[in-house]
Amino acid sequence: MADAPAIQTEALVKRYGRHGTTALKGLDLTITPGEVFGFLGPNGAGKSTTIRILLDLIRPTSGNVSVLGVDPRTSPDVRGKIGYLAGDFVASSRQTGRELLSYLGDLRGGVPAQRIDKLASAWDLDLTKRIGSLSKGNRQKLGVIQAFVHRPPLLILDEPTSGLDPFLQQQFVALVREAADNGQTVFMSSHVMSEVQQTCDRVGIIRSGSLVTVEHIDDLRKRALRKIEVHFDADAPALAVAGMSDVVVDGKVLRCKLSGDADALVKALAQHHVVDLISEEPELEELFFTYYAHEEA
Amino acid sequence: MRVLRKSLRDNRRGWIGWTLALSAIAAMYASFYPSINNPAMADALNSFPQSVKEAFHMQDYTKPENYFAVSVFGLLVPILVAVFAISAGVKAIAGDEEAGTLDLVQAHPVSRVSLALQRFLAIVVALVMIAAVMCLVVIALRGPGQFTALSPGRLFAICLQLALFGLLFAALAYGVGAWSGRRVYAIAAGAVVAVLGYLGDSFFTQIDSLRWMEKFSPFDWYLGGEPLKNGVQWGHAALLTGLAVLFVAAGTWRYNQRDIAV
Repeated sequence: MADAPAIQTEALVKRYGRHGTTALKGLDLTITPGEVFGFLGPNGAGKSTTIRILLDLIRPTSGNVSVLGVDPRTSPDVRGKIGYLAGDFVASSRQTGRELLSYLGDLRGGVPAQRIDKLASAWDLDLTKRIGSLSKGNRQKLGVIQAFVHRPPLLILDEPTSGLDPFLQQQFVALVREAADNGQTVFMSSHVMSEVQQTCDRVGIIRSGSLVTVEHIDDLRKRALRKIEVHFDADAPALAVAGMSDVVVDGKVLRCKLSGDADALVKALAQHHVVDLISEEPELEELFFTYYAHEEA
Repeated sequence: MRVLRKSLRDNRRGWIGWTLALSAIAAMYASFYPSINNPAMADALNSFPQSVKEAFHMQDYTKPENYFAVSVFGLLVPILVAVFAISAGVKAIAGDEEAGTLDLVQAHPVSRVSLALQRFLAIVVALVMIAAVMCLVVIALRGPGQFTALSPGRLFAICLQLALFGLLFAALAYGVGAWSGRRVYAIAAGAVVAVLGYLGDSFFTQIDSLRWMEKFSPFDWYLGGEPLKNGVQWGHAALLTGLAVLFVAAGTWRYNQRDIAV
């Protein structure tokens, strides 16, 4: 079973109600063990529907699902190997964080208290407070802890960092990377591109209930436009290099966008005195927008 | 049984509160018995019109089995037990689901059927506790309250019928809530049955065309066989239990099939 996909769906269809909307229209998805997969798409595209089917919280209208090699419908035990976090993490508010974590740990057959304490202190969360008295950010921290604390082979995260400040988002990225280094599989829906760029191996984009594309993040990055700014010691020369676009010359400064390989540009620049060369990290966001935007058309 | 333990722990304060309050009410009514048990009171009660007496099941109050059936176990206690049972039954699935907190627990390795049944079982434990404590309190008051004519066995019988009466309402609210996922349906089902059941067992008995409703009232299945005089009414007990099992089974079956609402 080592080679079985961590998650596989075949022709997954979900219709809500008899005459209701169709949230998924034949979704085919394969997540290999050990990868970090980013599941992206506009609101209402079917991300949460997919995730809730994987956890057997809702049932598909048709199609097949397998999670860690078994059907989640008939094998509730498989959820013991999953860590799940929803973006709007809610838990009954009268209990303390520790009460909740030890209950959820019990349901999994026990999680060492030591590990709970370690993660709680790393995330600076007071477990003795009642959940109802926690801020939204602190509640979300509790959600992060309950999903990661038992080091599950599969993490299913539904917009996990909503409600976390930028510092905690960064801390979350580190946690996901650590999980990936441990060989844990991560399936994560997200709207935060920086977090996707920093963690995911592959991304799939879903729109109106079907998968539009699945690509390696490196391939996307190669195709993405990067912004280049070159400062010369004299007036900027006119350059024509393959992959350059939107060239703007402003005195000694040349600005352009570059797709793909930077080699040709660098060789062309080598003939001039270059004072400064700035190349911005390619923004995947813009690329995603082109996929997202099709929906409007 | 982890879900059961958690339900008991989370609800312990509320449920102990209900137990104490209901026992206190029963104890209060019971300790009034000596002041009812005198000829002047009997004359005053006998002067009520016959129809009023029937509606309120007022017979010879000087006999403890009559007084207790109407006061201690007759009005406030069963209504409060029904309210408790309905609210606990609604909370078990539908309340948790509408609060959005059911998702998290069901994303853990516990099957739907197991989770739902353990939560219902916790309510059963609470009902047993309420009935048992009330029974012990009333039995303990037999001497000081001067109603030793009521045997502990008869008091046990009525407390058992009371627990089963509560079980029916808990099962109804639980079942409708687990089936639909909607609190309001579960509350409405419980309230309608409680109100119609109460009217059917009291005022409707005065209206010939509605008299048949008495036979279908849970209040009749609880008190109609006069367990304080006749002991446990096994037919009524079986009816209450059987319907409760049916509601629990139907709700749990549907809960296992359907989507959990976001």
